[in-house]
Amino acid sequence: MTNWNKNIYRSLIISSFLGIVILILLGIGKTLSYLNTGADRSSMLHLALDKDQAYLPKVIWKDTINPGRLIEKQTLLDIEKDYLSAWYVRQVAYQTNLTSGIDDYYTNSAQQHIIKNLEANKQKDIIVKGTTTNHNLLLDFYSADGQLAVLTDKNVKEYQQIYQKNQLLLETEVQSDYQIMLLLEDGFWRIRHIVKKESQITKDNVQTKRIAKVIGTKIYVDNQEFQIKGINYYPQKTPWDMFGDDFDMNVIAKDLDIIKTMGLNTIRIFLQYEDFGKATVKREKLQKLRQVLDQAEAKDLKVIVTLFDFYGDYSVLDWTLTHRHVEQITSKFKNHKAILAWDIKNEPNLDFESRGQENVVAWLREMMLQIKQYDPNHLVTIGWSDIASANILKDEVDLVSFHYYQDIDFFEEGYKRLNTKINKPLVLQEYGLSSNQGFWSPFGVSEKKQAEYHKQFQEIIKGQNIHYLSWTLYDFEEVPTSVVGSLPWRKHKQKHFGFIDSKGNKKKAFEFAGN
Amino acid sequence: MSLERKHIIFWLPLFLLCCIGFTTVLNTPQQVLAVLETKQKVFEAGDTIALNFKLNTPAKTQLFLHASFGSTILESDTANYMLPDFLSNKKGIIYYTLLHNSKAILKGTIEVKANTTNPVQLESYVGPPSIIAGGTDYTMQVVVPTDIYDNPLPDSTAMRLKHQFLDTEKEEDLYSKDMIGWSTIYSYNQSGRMLLSSKVRETASKEFSIEVFPSLPEDFQINSQRKHSYADGNQITEFITSVLKDEYGNIVSDGTLVEFKIQDKKGVVLQTQGGTVNGQAIGKILHPDHQDVWEVIAFIPGIAKSNVLQLEYASVLNEFDVQFSKNNREIIVGPLLSFMDQLIPDGAIVILKIEKDKSIETKIKTSSDGIARFILKKDFYPSGKYTIKIEALGVQKKFSQIPLK
Repeated sequence: MTNWNKNIYRSLIISSFLGIVILILLGIGKTLSYLNTGADRSSMLHLALDKDQAYLPKVIWKDTINPGRLIEKQTLLDIEKDYLSAWYVRQVAYQTNLTSGIDDYYTNSAQQHIIKNLEANKQKDIIVKGTTTNHNLLLDFYSADGQLAVLTDKNVKEYQQIYQKNQLLLETEVQSDYQIMLLLEDGFWRIRHIVKKESQITKDNVQTKRIAKVIGTKIYVDNQEFQIKGINYYPQKTPWDMFGDDFDMNVIAKDLDIIKTMGLNTIRIFLQYEDFGKATVKREKLQKLRQVLDQAEAKDLKVIVTLFDFYGDYSVLDWTLTHRHVEQITSKFKNHKAILAWDIKNEPNLDFESRGQENVVAWLREMMLQIKQYDPNHLVTIGWSDIASANILKDEVDLVSFHYYQDIDFFEEGYKRLNTKINKPLVLQEYGLSSNQGFWSPFGVSEKKQAEYHKQFQEIIKGQNIHYLSWTLYDFEEVPTSVVGSLPWRKHKQKHFGFIDSKGNKKKAFEFAGN
Repeated sequence: MSLERKHIIFWLPLFLLCCIGFTTVLNTPQQVLAVLETKQKVFEAGDTIALNFKLNTPAKTQLFLHASFGSTILESDTANYMLPDFLSNKKGIIYYTLLHNSKAILKGTIEVKANTTNPVQLESYVGPPSIIAGGTDYTMQVVVPTDIYDNPLPDSTAMRLKHQFLDTEKEEDLYSKDMIGWSTIYSYNQSGRMLLSSKVRETASKEFSIEVFPSLPEDFQINSQRKHSYADGNQITEFITSVLKDEYGNIVSDGTLVEFKIQDKKGVVLQTQGGTVNGQAIGKILHPDHQDVWEVIAFIPGIAKSNVLQLEYASVLNEFDVQFSKNNREIIVGPLLSFMDQLIPDGAIVILKIEKDKSIETKIKTSSDGIARFILKKDFYPSGKYTIKIEALGVQKKFSQIPLK
């Protein structure tokens, strides 16, 4: 017994000794690493600040001719960068009521005006979440020594959400002109004066060569009435990653042939926001997209391109980045004949709870304007996940799209009710049933039931003359966790929505995919 | 009883319906309408800005304000608003939106102008701080007048810009545009210091100075100075430029670098340089150690050059002794005698070349007390016959078939 006790004491002493040693070493390590931190020498030259731009509103230099001095291209870029950063730090300051960063982009005397305003807002618990979407710059003056510049920024569109005590009080969009004086100090172009001026509202006339248009409740493509008979499409091997490393144009071409033989005329595809490169869209992705669109055009299929898949930020300060994303994609394909519509986002109403409905809707509304600005030739829609959400922004979209996965028996009634409320083409953009009978759901739907479901749906569609796109061509072998989560029965369900099974055999529902 | 129950079944829903009906009627808010009572739309910075709204029914409202430097919200129960300093003191358009229950009920704008009654504040920027004489280069004076609240004064504010240079004093009246007033001041033909100042209303700026440097120098002359004309490899020859001036007669800035290029008889190029002091530069170089003729030219690269100067150096000796001793392994060259038969100053270079069929080694020594001593060690030079060539102060000697033991 005493032996036992001795051993316990021994082990206690040894382990406590080890513990103390570890703690001491850790403490010394922490202290040393703390002492090693501090101003990096490179920070003196502001070299380390060259990171990704976090604020990318559309900037156009309208005119740089000025009486002072011819401006160098590099200086123009520097001024633009610092000017945008000044806006960005100010937006952040008003969103947080903290002054960090303000001293880099505003001179001492200009800072005071912002700080006073921030203090007042802080006292009243007001925060302002804002962004600007475009700047049209004119250089009024650039001094001979290159240290002072005066700009006019015309028609600055500012969007703001004003919160008091975390309650959204107001959403505003104003357009104003600013005259700005900047001084070059410590390598930064800092704002010295800002004077806001009344903006002369000018509407840019956009030249349109409308490829698709909507008149009343009908869709017209090349002046012919167009009835969408379509399918949501992912290649079988690469669901939710159509434009990834395994992109194979031959596979896609064959699939389009299959879709054509099903009697369909439209496909809906998805572009993942991050995969496409966020604010700077990757060239190879655009090339892949072009191949798909060209192939669809060759096979006389229309394409609904769903943007911003897997995007979920929506914060006001992130707007400009998403605008640059959409600009690069839509302006590139604005004349492409294969595109029917841009679908801004798949099922954005599912983000209402986590991101705030007002944020999501405001983002969508602005995005609609952005797309129309860069591509006025194609239609714009939003793929709402249910009928109830379909009337959000109904006046802004060209097509009202919704998805339907509930009980088929209630569909017709829901559709009719929606149809009376909305005087625009309605698109049943996703529907389908998973033949998921198997290990994870022994009482699930059989392939036969799936076929019956599609048969029944086709009858309703025919009866009501509905634009439709079913979900989906293939059963998938793998479904990424980011789509439905990691639960195996949910993944399992998502794998079996197809008309063709994972071995390439046509399922019973295949014949009811079109009419 | 059953009858009563029937009654209840009949009346209760009706009663409930009425209740709902009334509550909806009661809850229907009267629409709040507002008009702005304040008629003034344009204010001066520093004014007390009060925006008084008249509502059709008393209600709690809020006023959202969007100005040059930011936005804020004010609250009031009476719909009378007093703008805080940071808004009423800043120039620019202010957008206002009157809110009731998060709904905009009235929108509009007011304008704040710069304060023109209080004294002006001045900020001046002058640059570049140094320019070149001659009237092609210029500096720029930018004046930013503001009111006491740091608002730029409106366009067409009168200002007076002055500058002084030597005997010249000039002033220029101009009007501001785009927040600033500016003027370019071209240099005069003379170099020197220019002083600048500006004045807006009663406020004067401080004094600014810029330096007017001489323009580019023109071609110039060089001369040489030496203690004697012998090629003793010991004395120093100096090349001296004339006073370097620009086309307007301004002496170039001290430190202007002049390069002297010397080409000898064989075409070898030597170089020296000197900076100007009071317009003159001096280049120094050691005399050659053999008879030679130098052609010297000086220039400021890319800008100006001098005349070509020719210098002859006479040989200091025609002959020297060479003594072989210790089995010819010790060779003593000298005494080397200079032009007055004096021992040549220490440091004259003596070159010894040893050959046997082909060149073996070149030894270089400097003279000491007129003598250079070479030792050919047995370890390196086994016994045999060698050819030895000796060169000093331009004189060459050859000793063939010297036996070393």
